[in-house]
Amino acid sequence: MNYFWIQLVLIVGAVSLAFMFIRRWDRANTRAWKRIAFSVFVIANIYAILRPSDVTWVAHKFGVGRGTDLVLYVMVLAMGFLTLNTFLRFRSLEKKLTDLARTVAINEGSRLNEERFDLDLPVSVPVKSNGA
Amino acid sequence: MTVSPPDIQIAARERARHPEHGAPVSQYDDVWLVIPAYNEGQVIADVVEGARKTFPNIVVVDDGSADDSAKHIMSTGAHLVRHPVNLGQGAALQTGLAYALAQNGAQYFATFDADGQHQTADVEKMVALLRTGEVDVVLGSRFIEQNGQVPWIKRVVLRTAATVSPTARKLKLTDSHNGLRVLNREAAGRLRITMNGMAHASEIVSFLAGADLRVAELPVDILYTDYSRAKGQSLINGVNIIFDISLRERGRR
Repeated sequence: MNYFWIQLVLIVGAVSLAFMFIRRWDRANTRAWKRIAFSVFVIANIYAILRPSDVTWVAHKFGVGRGTDLVLYVMVLAMGFLTLNTFLRFRSLEKKLTDLARTVAINEGSRLNEERFDLDLPVSVPVKSNGA
Repeated sequence: MTVSPPDIQIAARERARHPEHGAPVSQYDDVWLVIPAYNEGQVIADVVEGARKTFPNIVVVDDGSADDSAKHIMSTGAHLVRHPVNLGQGAALQTGLAYALAQNGAQYFATFDADGQHQTADVEKMVALLRTGEVDVVLGSRFIEQNGQVPWIKRVVLRTAATVSPTARKLKLTDSHNGLRVLNREAAGRLRITMNGMAHASEIVSFLAGADLRVAELPVDILYTDYSRAKGQSLINGVNIIFDISLRERGRR
């Protein structure tokens, strides 16, 4: 059997995974592509459910023995993209959270320390009453 | 505002009064100690007051501690900055530096551990070297002089880290993971720690290697107490650090 096509597809998939990691993505652009990919995925899904034997036919064209195997290969790739996407998203969220928390901490801290150390303030500093 | 009985606040104010008002101006008025603290309630007040005998200006960053660290810090004369959530030591250092940079007259910035393993005498030596104006950054090293305090396994791993790291080699560092550092205003202002976790030590070294700053190392004494040993970095965490760093290098935009 000729494995060329499936090998090409899998290698291209793996390489674009690496690229996704390194390249700076234009937000809107990437999102559009993700949505297109998702739509294609849904349509392919419905089609594969209605005509399961066609998947095997496509698999044969790619040089894969069974339709199930093709689905498995594609799933591994999709899983890779998903993981990476999640990782990148988490990292950017973490950065935002850090910036936010830092701003809050420094603002609060400046206020608090001014209150604690400023001698001009009356001694009866407003302390949040919790019985004290 | 934090919950803290008024008497503690007043005590803190009394103590703060000394260095800043009335008492003779310390020769270290332009030095700020940045101490990141995470669940260090047991020791933080003693460490801070010990350090304040020499250095009047201290900012402690409470990194979202679950214990009563904040209360203990409030009882000292140190400035307190609290992360609303736990972000990690790297983030706490960056926050502390940002806070200290905004203070009047701050010229030198020291990163100092909360568990009491660092000595203020070492910071004085490092500041003195910075004051000569010949260097921008002074890093502490446990390995310039063999003093036998570092457990041997830790010594092997840390020496290996310093030897295999390309950036540490470029700077000819003997100890790339020492928490005691003193930076001048220029260096501190340019430093941007983005690794929130423990990988910030490597990040700082690679920043120094990439920037045209003059870096020197000075031997420092580390007190490995039972407390600091229990709190300190476990070696297995080194795996996490290597992972974080390699992801950062590749994921850089």
